[in-house]
Amino acid sequence: MDLKHNGFPVPSDYFGVLWALSGIKDLLILEHGSTGTCNYNAFNYMIMNRQSPKGKLFSSGMDEDDVVMGRDVKIKEAIVELDHKYYPKMIALVATGVTSVIGLDLQGIIEEIQPTINARMLPFPSGGFAGDYTIGIREVFGTLARDIAEDCTKKVRSNDAPSWTKPCTVNIIGPTIDSFNIISDLAELERMLGLMGIRVNTVFTCNTDVDAIKNMACASLNLVTRDIGLEAAAILKERFGTPYYYGLPFGVKGSIDWMKDIASILGISLDKGMVRAELEKYGFSILELVNFLQNIDHLRAAISCPFDYSSGLAEMMRDEWGVNPSLIVLPASPIGPQRLNREANFGLGKDVRLLIEPDSWTLQDAISSMNPHIVYGNSYDLQISRNVPIRIHAAFPAFDHIYRYDGTPFVGLRGHAYLTQTIVNLLNQNPEVFRN
Amino acid sequence: MSIENKCLRLSELPDDGSLAATAHAKYPGQHCSFRAVAGTVPLIKNSYALLFGPAICLYNAKLSMNMRSLTSDPRPNNLLFVNYSQDDIIFGFQEKVREAIHQADQEYHPEVLFLITSCLQEIVGEDFDACIDEIRPSVKAKLLTIHTENFTCEGATPGVENMFKSLFELMKEQPQEERTANILGMWTSTARKTELARLLGSKGIRIKNVIPSYCTPSELEAAPRAQLNIVLDQYGLPLARMMKERFGTDYVYSRKPYQPDSIEEWYQEVAAALNIDLSAEVADLKKKTEALQEKARAALSGMTCVVFGTSGRPFDLAHLLANIGVEPKAMLLQTILPEDWPDIKSLLNAGVDPIVFQGDNSLQNEELLEELSPDISIGAFERSSLARMGIRPVVLLTSNYLIGFESTLEVLRLLMERTPGIEALIYKEKILASGEC
Repeated sequence: MDLKHNGFPVPSDYFGVLWALSGIKDLLILEHGSTGTCNYNAFNYMIMNRQSPKGKLFSSGMDEDDVVMGRDVKIKEAIVELDHKYYPKMIALVATGVTSVIGLDLQGIIEEIQPTINARMLPFPSGGFAGDYTIGIREVFGTLARDIAEDCTKKVRSNDAPSWTKPCTVNIIGPTIDSFNIISDLAELERMLGLMGIRVNTVFTCNTDVDAIKNMACASLNLVTRDIGLEAAAILKERFGTPYYYGLPFGVKGSIDWMKDIASILGISLDKGMVRAELEKYGFSILELVNFLQNIDHLRAAISCPFDYSSGLAEMMRDEWGVNPSLIVLPASPIGPQRLNREANFGLGKDVRLLIEPDSWTLQDAISSMNPHIVYGNSYDLQISRNVPIRIHAAFPAFDHIYRYDGTPFVGLRGHAYLTQTIVNLLNQNPEVFRN
Repeated sequence: MSIENKCLRLSELPDDGSLAATAHAKYPGQHCSFRAVAGTVPLIKNSYALLFGPAICLYNAKLSMNMRSLTSDPRPNNLLFVNYSQDDIIFGFQEKVREAIHQADQEYHPEVLFLITSCLQEIVGEDFDACIDEIRPSVKAKLLTIHTENFTCEGATPGVENMFKSLFELMKEQPQEERTANILGMWTSTARKTELARLLGSKGIRIKNVIPSYCTPSELEAAPRAQLNIVLDQYGLPLARMMKERFGTDYVYSRKPYQPDSIEEWYQEVAAALNIDLSAEVADLKKKTEALQEKARAALSGMTCVVFGTSGRPFDLAHLLANIGVEPKAMLLQTILPEDWPDIKSLLNAGVDPIVFQGDNSLQNEELLEELSPDISIGAFERSSLARMGIRPVVLLTSNYLIGFESTLEVLRLLMERTPGIEALIYKEKILASGEC
């Protein structure tokens, strides 16, 4: 049994539900549980870039009588209060572990109270027992894509134009408030799309709102940046015929390919002058930043990040820096049609180790036995890698790292420039890595 | 509509001290026993703690400790986690509990292994204690169970009291040692360097244990040797009562006082119980504190404040504030204890009658602040919101680790000092709020 002394208990689907809903501005979350659970959440939001659930998350303040008698008065009073005081467009009722165990029927409460409430209500009854947080995020994505997104082709504009569908408009599906480095990465994705003349309709679900989600079908393409967004994209495709493209651009080649693929799907041509200007500014190779005596091809690197980050970083390091990561750690198996393929996803040879959901001891042993020069990972990975000279925060949870400034992307052309410059600076700060 | 009409004036407080809820939808609400206990048991040396609960509680417990590790008051990493799944709820926890205890015992070799339950354990209703009794003979560590069901109460008190009471199980009958004392209810590694410890030390009184701060199990075993328990918070009181009943250990109880007169009175009570004379030392310290109080009055008189939670005697702190001319307009309180009444009466007699309220919804608290528009906010409140309203935040955290006159000196210092960075934050928030620069 992994008692998680040096690791962390994996957050459950309950957290995924909270995080996926928290990026929707005019939606409030009411959880049915004791206030202790809600109070505790102030901490877990704090470790995600010092965010706060204030004004977003509320508790019904369940007490012993509610548990013993299965009483639902408090949650109904809380719903009415939120509806009348803050006028949200939606209220999500979220179960906690206790609600789930006593089997309170959230859907039944909604059916009873919805006629008297202005906000649309949505139930999320799993209560943390369905699996890890990715399942909660997928549950929210699926619910919103299935039940909230509307068919824009049937809408009529005030000027009687036939449809709301907007050409060269995309939704970005995948980022939620827990996504590592989300501010910089989103800024870079939006910048690159802007260079191509493409507008972002909404980000599902970061800095979005209920209307933007309702109008998702207005976009001509869905860009999925995280495997947990694939199901929602498939639902939107099935319901509205919106095509989707899955990928996160890492490195120069990955970024140019990403732009070319999107341009091709949308039937637009890439401006060669723009591409040239971008490459001149951000496309500098690692070979242009190190000198002839600084060898880097012997460097051992470990990457411990979710699938999309791991595969992108591994490919960039291998193809553009000549550093082949020797250890890849995934916190969860990848989701979707592109099932895990060592060769396709990571270009891994037989001597490269791939760990999926390892326990704390396995991870600790793997890192100490390979003795890497570089580790990309979350705060816990970096804690157990204390002796590794170059340790780079690159995954959630990052309780000791802030990434609020929007100029430190990992993705896109600026991401390539930032990562390449950063790694060379860190190598120079630890010159012993050039020697052994 | 603000919550002002849902709040009481202090003079309107009912005899039972109960405060009406100000909101049905609560944020953040009171924190729970599980969190409080998980944050406390690392203070016991040579111990580990197994936390049994759903991932909701465990993940948050781990993060809280990690956040704490980045502060001036980190806690040792002794938490171990046992995640309850749906299957455990359906088929029972006992096998998992047994396995985890044996594993923790064999891998970490603790002297004491705390077993901390969560709401879930209590709701499912399996007989946890019987299960532990069965395991106990096969484990080297002493097993101490702490129940922390939060849904049965509105705060952390029962769980923290249970934590203190669990330590009683380690204690053994001892011959009493004259001129010794334990301090109960001080939560810091610096407890032995406090004014209280120094003053007692100067009179030959040795502090045996500061419970729960960094005692070993064997030190706790010998705790009944002390002549006196000095109890500084309500959580330690049940343990003091148990020690009095079983071992005859006398105790004096007072939460942290703030006014110089109150501190003097408290020291007199401690001194009398230990049969020592502290009057000269106390008089010196009191004089020094009163001098700073005068300085504070000169600097702050005429200002108003709102108090958001403090350690110690909240109404004695309010009285201190009133003494320096800072009017407490409102006080956020979770519970009013019977021992608060003398302070309440004294405050009312001084003509101070603040609004008292439960802070059920932080957004509403913000609205109340906006209406009351105090100069100072004392306690933990979001700094950007305060800056937007032009209210100066004062966090008394560093005074929480002190006791006696030194604590009040620190409070006065903090009140007179500008929080670093606050001017820049107010500048930014003002522009954001008004749209003008």
